[in-house]
Amino acid sequence: MDDAPDPTARATASRDAAARDGKLLARAAGGDHSAFDALVRQHTPKMYRVALRITGSAAEAEDVVQEAWLSSWRALAGFRHESAVSTWLYRVVTNGALAHVRRRRPTVSLDDVRPGGEEYGRSPLDGALLAAAQASPEGQVVRAEQVDAVLRAIAGLEVSQRVPLVLRELEGLSYEEVAEVLEVSVPALRSRLHRARVALLAKLREQR
Amino acid sequence: MSTSDDPLADPVSDSLADSLADPLADPRWEQVRAAARVRVPTPPGLVGRVLRSVGGIRGRLTTRPLELPFEGGSLTVTERVVAVLARKLAKEFALAAGGVHVSAVAMESGALEVLVTVRFGVSAGAAADALRRQLTAALADQLGAPPPPVSVHVVDVHPR
Repeated sequence: MDDAPDPTARATASRDAAARDGKLLARAAGGDHSAFDALVRQHTPKMYRVALRITGSAAEAEDVVQEAWLSSWRALAGFRHESAVSTWLYRVVTNGALAHVRRRRPTVSLDDVRPGGEEYGRSPLDGALLAAAQASPEGQVVRAEQVDAVLRAIAGLEVSQRVPLVLRELEGLSYEEVAEVLEVSVPALRSRLHRARVALLAKLREQR
Repeated sequence: MSTSDDPLADPVSDSLADSLADPLADPRWEQVRAAARVRVPTPPGLVGRVLRSVGGIRGRLTTRPLELPFEGGSLTVTERVVAVLARKLAKEFALAAGGVHVSAVAMESGALEVLVTVRFGVSAGAAADALRRQLTAALADQLGAPPPPVSVHVVDVHPR
């Protein structure tokens, strides 16, 4: 992210992690189940985080993560090492989350209506995420409701704006990485991100 | 790279957005940075459930296919087929029932293990029993033979 303490150390760590992931994936493709299991243990937390921030629902995010791993396992043999393993996994989980969002029912049952009039499909946060915001040290310093407001505002954006914002601003991926995940050019991504940031600020202004 | 078929293409052309100053310089952007620093906990047991699901569909290389009793002979089905069928059917039944969410389905020691969460207020025992009965019947119908034993485990309760 922008306020990372040491970009050089971070880049080195990232390269090491990518090399380690590449080796694990090669072993997994060769039939080594324990190597695939190691990738699952390593990457599930961030895949869940992305899925949760795109879908806004813990239950949906769990489904997305499960399906993403099943898809990844089926696609192991076809992985061509043209992108980093983590980028590939980000793409799988992002596409899965988008598919879930698009499959949502157009109508909403009474059970899905949350206090405050939020609908399940539009709800930006699950209780776990809110609880985390309030319990973490950062959440105590910056008022939890401000964090909540940002996450709600992001969740209220069109998916075309929400997804790049989640990957860039919340996950801290580079422009190149986000462009690769979304399979768009970097200039196109920069343009979309600018609009998304402006839209997000407008929503934050509205909430005041 | 072409972006013409980009599934996320932004249909809105907002000239105002292009004309505004850098949003990252806006004081409100600090709120976004703070939101990015908030830790998102992974649900307890999620990694384990994923591993069970993956294990369920890949089967174990050391395990022989299941032999199900069949009138006049036997039916041989791989663990993977049974797990994939069961996963799909269990999700359909859970969706129809409401308040039940299937977390993982796996074959273990010749039996089907189904992990579910239930919404607060839903009778866990009744929901699990209904799912077990429906799944057993549907699998018997699909396979044309008695399926392996089905166990349903309620592993968590989610809020209303």
